[in-house]
Amino acid sequence: MENTAIRVRELRQRYGEFEAVAGVSFEVARGELFALLGTNGAGKTTTLEAVEGHRAAQSGEVRVLGRDPYRERRAVRPRLGIMLQEGGFFADLTTAETIDHWRGFVEDPRPRDELLDLAGLREQAGVRARQLSGGQKRRLDLALALTGRPEVLFLDEPTTGMDPEARHATRRTVAELVRDGLTVLLTTHYLEEAEQLADRLAIMHRGRVVASGTVAEVVGGHGDRVRFRVPPDVPVADLPVLRGVAAGIEVDAGHATATYTLPPDDLQPGVYGLLRWADERSLALPGLRVDNASLEDVFLSTAGAES
Amino acid sequence: MIGTRAFPVHLDRVLLTRVARLEARLLWRNRTALFVAAGMPLLFVGMLVPMHGKRIQGVDAALLQGTGHLALFLLFAVFMNLATVFTTRREDGTLKRMRGTALGDAEILGGSVLTATVLYMAQVAVLAVVLVAAFGGRAPADPVLTLAGIAGGVVVFALLASVVSGITPTTELTQLTVLPVMFACMAGAGVMFPLGVLPEVVQQSLRALPLTPVVEIVRTGYFGRDFTAHGVPPAVGVGGGWVACLPSFAILAAWAAVARRLAARAFRWDPRRS
Ligand SMILES: Nc1ncnc2c1ncn2[C@@H]1O[C@H](COP(=O)(O)OP(=O)(O)OP(=O)(O)O)[C@@H](O)[C@H]1O
Ligand SMILES: [Mg+2]
Repeated sequence: MENTAIRVRELRQRYGEFEAVAGVSFEVARGELFALLGTNGAGKTTTLEAVEGHRAAQSGEVRVLGRDPYRERRAVRPRLGIMLQEGGFFADLTTAETIDHWRGFVEDPRPRDELLDLAGLREQAGVRARQLSGGQKRRLDLALALTGRPEVLFLDEPTTGMDPEARHATRRTVAELVRDGLTVLLTTHYLEEAEQLADRLAIMHRGRVVASGTVAEVVGGHGDRVRFRVPPDVPVADLPVLRGVAAGIEVDAGHATATYTLPPDDLQPGVYGLLRWADERSLALPGLRVDNASLEDVFLSTAGAES
Repeated sequence: MIGTRAFPVHLDRVLLTRVARLEARLLWRNRTALFVAAGMPLLFVGMLVPMHGKRIQGVDAALLQGTGHLALFLLFAVFMNLATVFTTRREDGTLKRMRGTALGDAEILGGSVLTATVLYMAQVAVLAVVLVAAFGGRAPADPVLTLAGIAGGVVVFALLASVVSGITPTTELTQLTVLPVMFACMAGAGVMFPLGVLPEVVQQSLRALPLTPVVEIVRTGYFGRDFTAHGVPPAVGVGGGWVACLPSFAILAAWAAVARRLAARAFRWDPRRS
C-alpha cells in the first residue's frame, strides 16, 4: 500500500480571470494530520474542493489514495469523509433522522448512537436540524463526515462557531481518530488548533504556499526574539552583537527598543552573552523579555504582512 | 463550475430507493410543496364535472379533458416539483453534501425523480379510477401505449426540471422560472381546449410543445382512436395507435435529447454564491 494518501502538485484553479490557487503542492502521508492555514480568501477551500473531487483540477495533479478524486470519484468517494466549510442540512429532519438517512448512503456505517456521541448530540437526537445551534450543526457535520468510516477525512474549518468546550472535544475526537490511523486534511483559522493537532502544515497566502513543514520547522525558520528598551545613557552603536546577530532598533516616542532575532539554538548563549554584557557595565535592561517565535508570528509575517 | 459534464448512468437500486425514501419524507414534511404537487390536481378534477355529458371530438368532454389531465399532472408532480426540489437542495447545500457520500450523481438525482414519479403515478391511478367511476370512462384500449406516453413524459419533464433549476438562483424564483413551460403547456397542449379550433399552422407548431405528444399518446391509447389527427379521431386497430403516435414519440425523444444536453450544461451542484 502506498504511503502517500494525498498528493497535490502545482495545482492551479481560477474563477474567471482570478487565479484563486496559483501553483500549490503538498503531500500528506497516511495517518498524518496536515493543516492548511491562511488568510481569508487564500484559496484553502478551493484547494480542498479540488482534493475532495468536488471540482476538477484545472492544471496540475491531484491524487487521493492513488487515484484522481474527480474522474474516479465513484471509486474514491466511499473512502473519504468530507466536512464542507458550509454544509447544508435537511431543515425538517431531526438529528437522528439525518444520521439514519446518512447511514443508508454509505457502506458499513458507524452505529447511530456512536455517531450521536461523536457529535455530542445525544440530547438533541429529536431536534430538527433547523433548530440546532451553529456549533451543534458543525458537530453534526463532523458526525456525518465520519459515518462511512473514512480513510481520509477533510475538515474545512471544523471548529469555527463552536464554544471552547466543543472545540476542545472536537479536537480530542480528531486526535483520537488520527491515532487510530485516519489521514486528515484540515483548514483552520485557530493557530493553536494547528499547533496542537498537525503533524505538518502549510500556510497559504493569495493562492500560494508561503511556508510549510512541521510546526517546529515552520516556526524555527523565524527565530526567537530577545527584546528590551535601550537605556537612555547607552548609545545604540554600543549594543553588543549576539552570536553574530546585531540588534534591530525601533524608536517609538523617543524610546528605542532593541530586538535580536536568534535561531533557536543560539537563544540561550545569546541571552547569556547579553546578560554578561549588561552585568559588566552594571546596566539594567528595562522591559527585558524573551519570546519564542509562535505560529502566529510566522503567520503574521508571511501571510498577514502585506494585506 | 462543478459537476460531471454528462449525466452519469451508474445506478444502484438500493441506494436509489434510499434517496427516494428520504425525498418522500421531506416532501411529506414540507406541506406547501406537498399541496402544490398533490393538491392542485384535485382542483383540476373538479373542473371535469360541468363538462360531463357534452361531446367533443366524438367522445365525452369530461373524458377528453380528463385524459388530458393524466398528462397535465406531469407539470405539477414532476416538472414544478422537481425544479423546486433541485433548486432547494442545491441552494441549501444538501446536493453537494450528498455528493460527499458513496452516492453517485445518478442516484442522488434519480432518487428525487423516483419519488416525483411515484407521486405522479398515484395521481394518474386515482384519476383513472375517477374517470371510470364518475364519468363513464373505461379501461384504456391500449394501456401499454398510454403508459409509454406517460413514461416518456416523466423523462422529458424531469430533464426539463433539471435545466430550469440550473438557471434558477433561489427556491422562491422557481415559481417564476417554471412559468413559461407551465403556461405554454397548459394553454397549448390541447388539454384546456382542443387544438382543432386553431389554424393548421398554429396546430402544427403547438405539437412541438413537450406536453402535446404526451397528451396525444395518452388519449390514443385510452380511446383507441388516433388523437394525433384532430377533428373527430378515427378508430385505430391493434397496434395502429403506436403507428399513429410515432411522430409524437419522435417529438418526445427530441425533447429528451435536447433537455439532456441542456441539463448537462446548466445543472449545478454548487450553491450559487451571489
Ligand atoms: N465560486 C467562486 N466564484 C468566484 N470566486 C470565488 C469562488 N469561490 C471562491 N472564490 C474566490 O477565490 C478566492 C479563494 O477562496 P477560498 O474560498 O478558496 O478561500 P479560503 O482560503 O477558503 O478563505 P476562508 O478562510 O475565508 O474560508 C477568494 O478570493 C474568493 O473570493
Ligand atoms: Mg474557506
